[in-house]
Amino acid sequence: MSDETVSDERVKSLSIAQRFLMRPEMGSFCGVILVIIFFLLIASDNGMFNLDGVRNWSVVSAQFAIIAVGACLLMIAGEFDLSVGSMIGFSGMVLAITNVHFGYPMWVGIIAAFVFSVALGAFNGFLVIKTKLPSFIVTLAFLYILRGLTIFMSVTTTSKTILSGMKPAAEADWLAPIFGGEAFKFAFTWMAEKGWIDTFSRGSMEGQPVVSGVPALILWAIGLVIFGQFVLTRTRFGNWIYASGGDAHAAEYAGIPVKRVKVLMFMFTAFCACIFAMCQVTEFGSAGADRGLLKEFEAIICVVIGGALLTGGYGSVIGAGLGAIMFGVVQQGLFFSGAESSLFRVFLGSLLLIAVITNTYIRRRIIGAGD
Amino acid sequence: MDQASSALLSLRGISHAFGANRVLKAVDLEVNAGEVLALAGENGAGKSTLMKIIGGYLPPQSGDVLWKQAPLPEGLRTVEDAGITLVHQEFALIPDMTVAENIHLGREPRKWGLIDRARMHRQAREALGLLNAEISPGAGLARLPVASWQIVELAKAFAARPHLLLMDEPTAVLGRDEAAALFDRIRAYTTAGGTVIFTSHRLDEVREIADRVAVLRDGQITLNKPIQDVSEHDIASAMVGREMSDLFVPRITPVVARPVLEVEGLDVPREIGAPVKDASFALYPGEILGVAGLVGAGRTEMFEGLVGLRPAHARRFALSGKDQVLPCAREAWQCGIAYLTEDRKSRGLLLDKDLLVNATLVSGALFGGARIDRRADAADFDAARARFDIRAAGPATTAGQLSGGNQQKLLLAKTLATDPQVVILDEPTRGVDIGAKSQIYRIIAKLAEQGKAVVVISSEMPELIGLAHRILVMDRGRISGVLTQPEDGQISEHEILRLGLGLENEEDAA
Repeated sequence: MSDETVSDERVKSLSIAQRFLMRPEMGSFCGVILVIIFFLLIASDNGMFNLDGVRNWSVVSAQFAIIAVGACLLMIAGEFDLSVGSMIGFSGMVLAITNVHFGYPMWVGIIAAFVFSVALGAFNGFLVIKTKLPSFIVTLAFLYILRGLTIFMSVTTTSKTILSGMKPAAEADWLAPIFGGEAFKFAFTWMAEKGWIDTFSRGSMEGQPVVSGVPALILWAIGLVIFGQFVLTRTRFGNWIYASGGDAHAAEYAGIPVKRVKVLMFMFTAFCACIFAMCQVTEFGSAGADRGLLKEFEAIICVVIGGALLTGGYGSVIGAGLGAIMFGVVQQGLFFSGAESSLFRVFLGSLLLIAVITNTYIRRRIIGAGD
Repeated sequence: MDQASSALLSLRGISHAFGANRVLKAVDLEVNAGEVLALAGENGAGKSTLMKIIGGYLPPQSGDVLWKQAPLPEGLRTVEDAGITLVHQEFALIPDMTVAENIHLGREPRKWGLIDRARMHRQAREALGLLNAEISPGAGLARLPVASWQIVELAKAFAARPHLLLMDEPTAVLGRDEAAALFDRIRAYTTAGGTVIFTSHRLDEVREIADRVAVLRDGQITLNKPIQDVSEHDIASAMVGREMSDLFVPRITPVVARPVLEVEGLDVPREIGAPVKDASFALYPGEILGVAGLVGAGRTEMFEGLVGLRPAHARRFALSGKDQVLPCAREAWQCGIAYLTEDRKSRGLLLDKDLLVNATLVSGALFGGARIDRRADAADFDAARARFDIRAAGPATTAGQLSGGNQQKLLLAKTLATDPQVVILDEPTRGVDIGAKSQIYRIIAKLAEQGKAVVVISSEMPELIGLAHRILVMDRGRISGVLTQPEDGQISEHEILRLGLGLENEEDAA
């Protein structure tokens, strides 16, 4: 036995630094630190890192994170979903039409939106499995179909593409505040009373804290990241997700229900898109048929920066979450530093390239040096 | 019937065909509990197909499989649950997962519903320890060499605690010590009541570990006896079933000439397994050079590097005595080096395109103008069809509809359409029937006769021995020796194996 332990040590001889570099999250972790330092240097005077500023970019990051968790698990399982953005528009519109047009309470609309989007996710997955076509094509079709249906639906029922005025209904509902409300309000009021956080000094809100609570969106994002990472690394099902994306054939040989795993991941991605939409609609009280445009790609970028392989079988939900934080910081940071907002896209694209190149390069170096 | 009722597994009249190719023809076979049955046979004899049928991967097209006197349940999972596990020749492992995860894939140990990693690693360590392997359970599989993959695959199979373990060429990529450890494990397993069926090319292994040997030839059992009742010669002749000389054309000794192609110090890096290092050799006109070596020895990689299909570096590369840099793939064709891939289906042919397109793909790309000359193509195709005896309805048939042998002849036609001076053929007879095989051998001999330099990479030793003037043997990325056919006889399989297993330079390798 002693011989064996010795030889194990020999095989295991990776330094802590190397092992850190091997982690999929490595790239996005360094990226988050870099962009925060960068904007601390150039934008901290403009209030980006005071309480209000932090709340500001956290909300944006949380939005990215919510859809990135779904996209991440799906990509690790070896598939894509390009219909995420359209799904956001669609499920938001389902909620708005049931509430505004048909007059049902918010909670009915929310449940309807979840039922519809998860069912559509299942249908997406089912089509990919049955036709054996690449999910790229199938979900690309749904990107168009769903967007078109959303506009058609809203125009034929209400002759409008933006439905608003749901704020009072959302605040009065029992289910809607889970998505659009704020948590820990008492803590913020208390901290304001103690003078620890800033309060408004003028106007009708005088004396109220600048940040009145933690938006539900942020809690959803944190919850989903933890849930996703937990499922992926601690459960048998998580192992199956990795295996399905790593080599579907080998996984099937090992008796893993690969098809079921993939369909479930499509459903989960749609579920995440729906959460995103519910938060947006209930917070702002309006839904638009063009909501969620390009979100599918932003989600995929977060996931890839988070270290996942486009080919599946490798990745990390924490990494995707960090990728989302990086995006939020960059988007709001450019805003705070007064840069032209169109530069955000340039930044996004460049970050994606740099992240993927360094990730692949380091991975190859380490695997190559391994034997 | 009495005997049948006591068998653990009995096969009754199993037949199977892939398209027109009948792989198994009414096979009857019985296996008793606690025995080790060796299934011997040449490549393409139907061994792997038979294994897949027993393992539940393929339903037999006709005949019955009885497991413990009852029909074998259908479906992979149910067969595994019934206690039969198959170790594939191709790996069924996931590179991005760890060794322990791979061993437990689909059977992850759990504690309170969550994966119990501590137990998973402990069990994996035990399973690997029983195979005397020094592999860390936490290591990522992608970082390990091929031999370790095979050991992980074996550990995974034993960890499933099957009653019957099927192993398809388990030792093909293993070293001597690793194979010995596997045999110890098999002995312990059968002593504990387990049963094993394994396939192997190596008769010495069959003799060492098997209790009984069954030989498959062209889909039929030609020998089935206890191992002590047969000699290696009996097994070999049951495998071949004919004199090998019938298949081959007598060799013509080439005229002594200057080499057409010389390479020195060729290095080809690889992602998995040992990289090809410092390979030097020369090819002569009119000579057939055989290339032998175990799976994973780097034969294909060496020649793919030479013809520009993967990154490679050489100290010196010369064509007809003129030094030049290693060619890229297009340049290789242009300077008369043709390479026929071993991967006919995904790299060799466009399976859903018609024969005409396939046959003229290379020549058109190299010598054709901007416009495709359909008439010239059609004429070329007719000539090629006659020359290579491609049996198909017509030029509009798609390549995927052809049998394996005809596909291979089509691939030859495509490769040789440019009239190359150096012809490199990688596994030219893989998956083709005997008839097509002998035709291909004739084509190869003809090429040499015309003064081309021919390279044949093959895993079938009789093929190399029957065809080649010289045989180059590779072992773990290095050329371990070159054998020349003696004046008065033939190179023996034993000599090739000795070089291929690295027995000559064990010290260097370690």
